[in-house]
Amino acid sequence: MTRLARYWWLLVLLCIALYPPTLGGMSPYRCGILVFVGIYVILAVSLDLLMGYAGQISVGHAAFFAIGAYASGILTAKYGVSPLPAMIAGVLLSAGVAWAMGRPVLALREYYLAMATLALNVIVVTLITGMQSLTGGASGLRDIPAFSLFGFSFESDVRYYYFVWSVVVFVVLTSLALVRSSFGRTLIAIQSDETAASSFGIDCPAYKVRVYVLSAAFASLAGSLFAHHMSFIAPDDFGVLTSINILVMLFLGGSGTIFGPVLGAGFLKLLPEVTYKFQDYEMLLNGVILIVVLLFLPRGLYGVVTAVRNGLVRSLGRQ
Amino acid sequence: MAKGPAGVTRDEEAQARVMPPAVMLRVVEATKTFEGVRALDSVSFEVRAGHIKALIGPNGAGKTTMLNVINGLLAPDSGHVHFQGCDLVEMKTDRIAFLGLARTFQLVRLFSVNNATVLDNVLVGAHKSLRPSVAGTLFFRSRAARNEAAAREKAMEMLRFVGLEKAAAMQPGALSFGSQRLVELARSLMADPRLVLLDEPASGLNDAEVESFMELLSVIKGRGVTVLLVEHNMKLVMGVSDDVVVLDFGRKLAEGPPSAICSDPLVIEAYLGPECAVRGSP
Repeated sequence: MTRLARYWWLLVLLCIALYPPTLGGMSPYRCGILVFVGIYVILAVSLDLLMGYAGQISVGHAAFFAIGAYASGILTAKYGVSPLPAMIAGVLLSAGVAWAMGRPVLALREYYLAMATLALNVIVVTLITGMQSLTGGASGLRDIPAFSLFGFSFESDVRYYYFVWSVVVFVVLTSLALVRSSFGRTLIAIQSDETAASSFGIDCPAYKVRVYVLSAAFASLAGSLFAHHMSFIAPDDFGVLTSINILVMLFLGGSGTIFGPVLGAGFLKLLPEVTYKFQDYEMLLNGVILIVVLLFLPRGLYGVVTAVRNGLVRSLGRQ
Repeated sequence: MAKGPAGVTRDEEAQARVMPPAVMLRVVEATKTFEGVRALDSVSFEVRAGHIKALIGPNGAGKTTMLNVINGLLAPDSGHVHFQGCDLVEMKTDRIAFLGLARTFQLVRLFSVNNATVLDNVLVGAHKSLRPSVAGTLFFRSRAARNEAAAREKAMEMLRFVGLEKAAAMQPGALSFGSQRLVELARSLMADPRLVLLDEPASGLNDAEVESFMELLSVIKGRGVTVLLVEHNMKLVMGVSDDVVVLDFGRKLAEGPPSAICSDPLVIEAYLGPECAVRGSP
């Protein structure tokens, strides 16, 4: 049993692969929703690296989501660059912005750090709105082509689903490899106590900047995927509200776990699909469910999953 | 040149046998003021290689401030700290750690977030040799795994040394205060230090634990690690140290071997009280 449990991830991969032909029914709508879930999973996991491990709060993560989306959108729609190089350009730009802003911003703590990251989000959105000739301003950027790779187009939602979820798996596996290594331990030491960490040779500012750059790069990937999926993007998609949504996903799922934000993003994005039937009460119901989860599950959804798993293992062990 | 576990060369060991040991750390006229209060007032002393030096004095005498200045956590207003050919005053704490300086803290500072275990804490002590990076972790996986396995083995050895190998998978918060101090000691030794600063390592330990801690200290010394110790427990100080320096109101009151310190009337008046000479005689 325990040996089988080690291969649970194969089961997860199988579920991802089999979703479109089974539950998804090859429907563009159902696969499209899961594309959004995947994009938000990437965002929430990228924020988990920064907040759950390095302990640095960011209330402006949508800034990098925006940079990725607009880099992809502008380069492909206006300059005819193919999607992959455009995506890479976005990642490099986001990483560059994070690297340049990292030192001064991450030297701040708590409320001040929250304010500075929030300001970064506002600045990016203001710039996008202002640079009208390049970005389309407040009325948005349209006609972004579907993602294609070496001539193969991911135009249909089912195809794009597979592409987005490959990126999700890549981001989750990379993040897991990092946090389960001595690198992750170093981040936890920094979050726990910078004074003690530096006494053992840890250059805290340098490590914080590295995680910030990595986190920005992942968020930028999500932005590119979003732009190609929507084909139309506007500054409103990347406001502070989006940043707060990512934060809620992280805490809902359980921060500092990588799997937590995956669950959190899935829960928050799929909840409206269930509650929309209640029409006028939809927002109210969403709010109540959120409050209940945050109040009564301090370790998030992932805390529930681990508790159930540990209970199962214990009862199986007894038999 | 062949290096021992503490990074001491054979030549240096041989030298130590015939001559008085070389100076490991030299503090020169360190002065530190906090809002008009002189926490350190032109304090100078030396720590010789391979010695255990104790820094004693009443509360508020500036002992922890002295350690923080050496460690680079505080910048002194004036003065110098020489170690390994560098002036530590101009260096950041993490660079100083790379020179071979490790420490423990008066108020235990163990890493506790994200379910960090005792073993995780000790492993952070190996940061100097692991130097984890994003690229190293992702692209050189087998080398990273090898280094990690070696570090884990060594960390378990350190935990065995302080008698806490059974607590490896526990969270530090579940341990007694005394055990947490021992985890801090294991973590600092994990860094292969040349000089280790211990800030009141015996506070919160009972008599039996103090006894075994004294044995640990002499083993550490035997491995060639130099120790600078801040401590209130006079039995420990007089029992293990080669040399004692006494601070009072930020000034150096006296310096010398334990026997001389015990009989120094200035020290007795300021700190020890008359019963020390009896209690502390080795």
